[in-house]
Amino acid sequence: MKPASAKSAPLSSATLQILLALAGGNLHGYGIIKEVTRNSDGHYRLGPGTLYDNLKKLMDAGLVADAATFSSSKRKQLSSKEDDRRFYTLTKDGKNALAAEVDRLQSVVREAKLRLQEARTGKA
Amino acid sequence: MNSMGARLAYRLLLRLHPASFQHEFGADMLWIFDEEQQQGSTVYLFFDGVRSLVRQRCRPQKDPGQLSIASGTIITSPGIGMFRLFQGGLLCLAIFLSLGQILRHPNPFSPSIKWSNRMSCYTITLQAPSHAEVVLNPLP
Repeated sequence: MKPASAKSAPLSSATLQILLALAGGNLHGYGIIKEVTRNSDGHYRLGPGTLYDNLKKLMDAGLVADAATFSSSKRKQLSSKEDDRRFYTLTKDGKNALAAEVDRLQSVVREAKLRLQEARTGKA
Repeated sequence: MNSMGARLAYRLLLRLHPASFQHEFGADMLWIFDEEQQQGSTVYLFFDGVRSLVRQRCRPQKDPGQLSIASGTIITSPGIGMFRLFQGGLLCLAIFLSLGQILRHPNPFSPSIKWSNRMSCYTITLQAPSHAEVVLNPLP
């Protein structure tokens, strides 16, 4: 998966959820899972296999990268278990891909609303 | 299945993943399994693990891994699997068999060196299995 194609092609729901979770800040794998569950009100459950499979693809495409450093305040919030974990961050390409996907979804919603409105006025 | 058994089964499932994936994410996946196990159900994690295994195994690997031989020991990168080693073994066997065949027979080429007056240069002729001529630069 290349960044250019990721910008044009619609993202899968798992990919979109991961990018959305990372848009809020750097997270480790379990943090992403919890964030995705929270964002979707528990409707979307991401398993570790799906998560890391997608993360690998996103890292290969340059949309997500390893987060090397944290602020001291962030590090204090982490438990000793979490401290050892690998954290991920959204790259510039990743932010662009997410923005492009949001724009695409907005146009889909706009079109859907228009068609529903037409259907309603057609019935009336 | 008790928690230890479930953990062992999940570890086995992870072991079936390609080595590179396992090396990169295995520890974190097991950690997530442990955390989720404390929360409750882990059945979906097994389904997810099997799905991930199928995806990883079906996807062609871009990185074939690195193989280096140092001091008679074969060192493989985490990306190289048993299949690649088997392929490498077959290739080595084919090379050694070919070398053996070549060394068993006398030199198939019979070179002859002649001085050509017309072109004022040496001509090396290799006969059999196919005719080939190498023309050297004229001697000073």
